[in-house]
Amino acid sequence: MIIFAERINGMYRDVRSAIAERDTAVIHRLAQEQLAGGADVLDLNVGPSKGNAVENFLWLAETVHAITDKPLSVDSAKADLLVEVVPRVKEALPSTKLVINSCTAAPQYMNKLIPLAAASGAAIIGLTMDQEGVPGDVERRIECGATFLMTALAAGIPIEDIYLDPIILPVNAAPKQQIHAVEAIRHLAMVHDPPPRFIVGLSNVSQKCLNNRLLNRTFLVMCLAAGLDAAIVDAADRDLVEAMITAEILLGRQLYSDEYVKAWRMQKGLPSEAQAAEV
Amino acid sequence: MSVPDVQARWSRRINTVSLGAKPAEGGTRGSTVTVGGAEGIPFLDIDGATPFAPAIALDVLDVPPQGWPDPLAEVYSDVWSDPAAWAERAKSLGADLINLRLAGTHPDEGDRSATEAVATVRAVLEAVDLPLIVWGCEVPAKDQEVMPAVAEAAQGEKCLLGAATETDYRTLAAAAQGYGHKLIALSPCDINKAKQVNILISDAGFPLEDIVIYPTTAALGYGMEYVYSILERGRLAALSGDRLMAQPVILDVGYEAWRTKEARVGDEAAGLWGPAWEAVTAGALLQGGADLLVMRHPQAVAAVRQLIAELVADAAVAAT
Repeated sequence: MIIFAERINGMYRDVRSAIAERDTAVIHRLAQEQLAGGADVLDLNVGPSKGNAVENFLWLAETVHAITDKPLSVDSAKADLLVEVVPRVKEALPSTKLVINSCTAAPQYMNKLIPLAAASGAAIIGLTMDQEGVPGDVERRIECGATFLMTALAAGIPIEDIYLDPIILPVNAAPKQQIHAVEAIRHLAMVHDPPPRFIVGLSNVSQKCLNNRLLNRTFLVMCLAAGLDAAIVDAADRDLVEAMITAEILLGRQLYSDEYVKAWRMQKGLPSEAQAAEV
Repeated sequence: MSVPDVQARWSRRINTVSLGAKPAEGGTRGSTVTVGGAEGIPFLDIDGATPFAPAIALDVLDVPPQGWPDPLAEVYSDVWSDPAAWAERAKSLGADLINLRLAGTHPDEGDRSATEAVATVRAVLEAVDLPLIVWGCEVPAKDQEVMPAVAEAAQGEKCLLGAATETDYRTLAAAAQGYGHKLIALSPCDINKAKQVNILISDAGFPLEDIVIYPTTAALGYGMEYVYSILERGRLAALSGDRLMAQPVILDVGYEAWRTKEARVGDEAAGLWGPAWEAVTAGALLQGGADLLVMRHPQAVAAVRQLIAELVADAAVAAT
């Protein structure tokens, strides 16, 4: 599974103040933690931080890029902001793969962001919702997802750069929506061969819940079984990552061996637990 | 309507492992052999290139073999009491490498000492200039005595040393690494163990790129399809990105084929059955993804050579 690291987000107080004070050390430490946990892509979100959002994004991207060549995901719900930010980040870091996170299936979003992805060689995450809001069922999710997928393909975006996000809502506020998202993945995987990639913003499922980490990893395993390819998670949550590794073994996506957790770290070129402990 | 693109896109290729070192590389070999490098399913050109043709090693034992059937005795019995002469015979029969088994070091098969084993290895290295594969006797306590001495004596020759197992790998891995050799990782017909042995060896600091996998072997009619499916599953995992399975594969075809009932019948058919059994076993296992075959009978070798030539017309000849 492709791990998008969620931690560099202005919704967290430490990130917000680091952005305000241009404190690179805080961002570097968080990024290192996520990379050590196995992050493949670093999701960047300036959140409600003070100052110019475009400049804040640029600073975050350059700060993170200083310690890693991994792809960066530019995360905002504001299409106009993404339209400004993505070309600036692309210009500053021309060799870095970008992911636009995210776009809905509403025409006013797709018209802006899909051409932007095509022009900048970025991957793009499409939410299975449109101008009418988040669907309350599976069918509308499929409809929105298919609309986004076909529009992105028609714009020339390669299938491996198209992610669909079936929208995860908190279990305490919107029960049944979790299984709707799982079913949407299962169905949308059959819309195109090869299928697009599926991603979830995992921690939404447990927002304001007591057992949030247990909920997160349990739901991640359910999504993986339906065909999930990527998730925005806290890569430093070891229990979560190990549940994910185990699910991939049980789903036959990876070859079993007795030391499969260690094998996963080796595959990623991460130091072994023993080596990591010495540092 | 356009024809759909069905080409597989693999994310990893099989590692290449070079065996033998010429004088410029610090050894004394006249030729070297590179195995591995496949970029797709074996011999499927549209899938990916097969840059190096599978190589063939011929068996040489440090002591006269026990119970080899007549068709093999006819080829080797005049030289098999002298490993150096036997190695020369193997070279003259077209071997790419010499597969030297230190069978006589086995506590129950002569219990030859490390010093005697070293003398045999030196004699073979002097007699022929082909790259060398050296196996212990598969009794861990004895191998741990013999193999480090062998590794030291052959320092710089980039031999392939066997075999590291799930329970006994540290001594051999250290000896191979210390003296610049490559390592055979043995797993008993179990793909999960194959991966596990690689994890353990790698965790001990030995480079994954210097390992050749030996998933054990079975002959036609004696479980070959099981080995075949293991080869195939391992190869697909490697091509899909599993760097712990991306090692080239060695198979001990001659040993297994000549243990079969069919190869050992005492009548006039034996001269046909044995080589045929060895050739058919080798030919089938090549399709699963074998990079290095250990063989015995020259007729079987000739048949497999012809098959390889037809399958990989544009690949580099294994030996350079």
